[in-house]
Amino acid sequence: MIAQNTLKAQVSQNMAFLGEANRYSPFLAAQNDSFHSASYDLSANTLVPDIYGSQRSQAPLTTATSVVGLQFKDGVVIAADVLGSYGSLARFRNCQRIMKVNDNIILGAGGDYADFQYLKNIIEQKILEEECLDDGFSLKPKSLHCWLTRVMYNRRSKFDPFWNNFIIAGLEYGQPFMGTVDKLGTAYIDPVIATGYGAYMATPLLRKALESKPDLNKEEAIDILTKAMQVLFYRDARSFPKYQIGIISKEGIEIRGPLTLESNWELAHMIG
Amino acid sequence: MALLGGYSAGSFPDYEVQGAKKVHFSPYADNGGSVMAIAGEDYAIIAADSRLSTGFSIFTREQQKLFPLSNTTVLGCSGCWCDTLTLTRILQARMQMYKHEHHKELTTPATAQMLSTMLYYKRFFPYYISNILAGLDENGKGCVYSYDPIGHCERSNFRAGGSAGALLQPLLDNQIGYQNQEGVDKTPLPQDRALAILKDVFISAAERDIYTGDGIFINIITKDGIKADKFDLRKD
Amino acid sequence: MESQPGLRLAGKTWTIGACGQNTSVPVLCMFLTRSEYDRGVNTFSPEGRLLQLEYANQAIKLGCTAIGISTSEGVVLAVEKRVTSPLMEPTTIEKIVEIDKHIGCASSGFMADSRTLIDRARVECQNHWFIYNEKMTVESAAQAVSNLAIQFGDSDDDGSAMSRPFGVAILFAGIDEHGPQLFHMDPSGTFVQFDAMAIGSGSEGAQQSLQEVYHKSMTLKEAITSVLTILKQVMEEKLSDTNIEVMTMTPGKMFYMFTKEELQEVIKDIA
Repeated sequence: MIAQNTLKAQVSQNMAFLGEANRYSPFLAAQNDSFHSASYDLSANTLVPDIYGSQRSQAPLTTATSVVGLQFKDGVVIAADVLGSYGSLARFRNCQRIMKVNDNIILGAGGDYADFQYLKNIIEQKILEEECLDDGFSLKPKSLHCWLTRVMYNRRSKFDPFWNNFIIAGLEYGQPFMGTVDKLGTAYIDPVIATGYGAYMATPLLRKALESKPDLNKEEAIDILTKAMQVLFYRDARSFPKYQIGIISKEGIEIRGPLTLESNWELAHMIG
Repeated sequence: MALLGGYSAGSFPDYEVQGAKKVHFSPYADNGGSVMAIAGEDYAIIAADSRLSTGFSIFTREQQKLFPLSNTTVLGCSGCWCDTLTLTRILQARMQMYKHEHHKELTTPATAQMLSTMLYYKRFFPYYISNILAGLDENGKGCVYSYDPIGHCERSNFRAGGSAGALLQPLLDNQIGYQNQEGVDKTPLPQDRALAILKDVFISAAERDIYTGDGIFINIITKDGIKADKFDLRKD
Repeated sequence: MESQPGLRLAGKTWTIGACGQNTSVPVLCMFLTRSEYDRGVNTFSPEGRLLQLEYANQAIKLGCTAIGISTSEGVVLAVEKRVTSPLMEPTTIEKIVEIDKHIGCASSGFMADSRTLIDRARVECQNHWFIYNEKMTVESAAQAVSNLAIQFGDSDDDGSAMSRPFGVAILFAGIDEHGPQLFHMDPSGTFVQFDAMAIGSGSEGAQQSLQEVYHKSMTLKEAITSVLTILKQVMEEKLSDTNIEVMTMTPGKMFYMFTKEELQEVIKDIA
């Protein structure tokens, strides 16, 4: 009895905070850690894929490409196109993936579209439950960012990741916030964030723009982001000319689009 | 397909199913970063660079990788960032739980031991982090503890870890440990000299290691508390 | 017995003697109010008492007397051992035990129950050392044991409830960064620090004497003499090297049990 309790205490000390997506209390998750408990506890919910021959989420299916985001003086803009690719096939042409979470958070997602839809549902449920309390409090962007980080990390620890990149943008006490989380639970905040191919092609443009003018206004930020989307459309083979922009500022949240990117392929005739 | 009878699809790449491509999953990422700490008679200095990266991309140039755990203890982490986020949160919770349970602050040597057991408890799915813990011991003397990812723990007076750890440690051995020097008097290291060595060492690391750069955050731990400082490194 | 109708309850005759030698008026009252409220360990009586806990306290009052004094030089614990038969091997009665190098304890009541609590204390001390590489404080050790003691009546997924509280009181004597300390814990899990404390059948008389004799600048030697003098007062038998145990907790020797020779030496001085 004593030994058992001690062991349990030790395990829970290590497992604290490892909740599941639909389990909000971080301290209750003791039994659900991956490997570790799985190696010793061969109960129904063991999660090592090899033992039972089932493999989950080892690869994304319908995917969406980069999400880009830029902070400006008193807000944040994020943008993403609306293509759902099936490998190299441009399969779905209206996969919208910029969502309004509540009055002070917007969220953009890249990667597996099904995983995004699943998490979107959970987040919407969370917000609904919070609104039902009607206590005047609402989820803040830092909290959602932290929560999503825990969710992503827990799933990666079960070798069953949500195959996504998220950008969480919002206002917290009037200050702009932008953070990101990937499928491992790698999270950070920065005034410039771009995921996927955007990390290689958009970040340099956005960082340069922000460096040359640190307090951009909304219109300038939107222009720079649109330019970045255009560059991505030219170079990223999994991109699309239709896209959405999400803007959060003191005036509130606005999700524009799907808009159409201007592009000029005249040059293509001169090649080859 | 009859033509292919007996052969696996693998021999005929053209006939592989397109679209659903297998991507292998690794729960770890190398997010780079270097940490360094020096212990003196009545102080400890710890510093970590502020670059968070993966491969050739820089996620952010201003990531704090030092985690003050108490008034006398600071942890520096580099390696897999998602593990760092998780470990440091659990540590912070454990520090608070200890305070409530035992009505006192966890000392640096006790924190060091706790971190070691926490890392070892995940022996078969480790936190992929290079940890360096700095602080003051029960007698107010500076101390530095360094770890491997599965909890091996060693106390020393100076240590470099992370992506440029192997690059920096020999320099510290020479400059602080006076190794391979002849006819030097081994006087205790004053705080300003330690700080100067530390900055020089990070400048050197940023020259050769692409995973170290942008800047460093410094924490100086004395009996009067923790003093935070910043220093710029090259950003390329 | 017939002249005391209040003691006839539930068709059973309760004899005063069964409650121990020191039967006092409160005990009588308690048995008079005996009712269905003393069945469940989690049921409060209308007066706001947990009767099972009070019965557990009665069980301790049947137990051997144990006395402890904490001084600035260290802590001393002494207990009486009831050697009920000349055929008994007295050294197998262990009422003072080591929990860790820096903590010892004396218990009174059901000794079998005390083993469970002592086991927990030992495990917690070692676990604390394992995780933090430092000595567990005496207070934290008492807290850890208290956490187990209070679990009577709890049940969870993998175990049923403990059927009753532990029938023991414990005196913890230890030294940590706060110096020498003495803690007392009762069956409810309540623990309090004392300068001097007694438990067991002679506790009431002993505590009275402790209050008279204790002073802040007491030396350890004085404390040993006082403890034994008081023990002698409350014991029926004469002090001997077989029917008492004495332990000191000092910064030099830490947990130290007196040998037969040392016992003879200290008994000699007791008038």
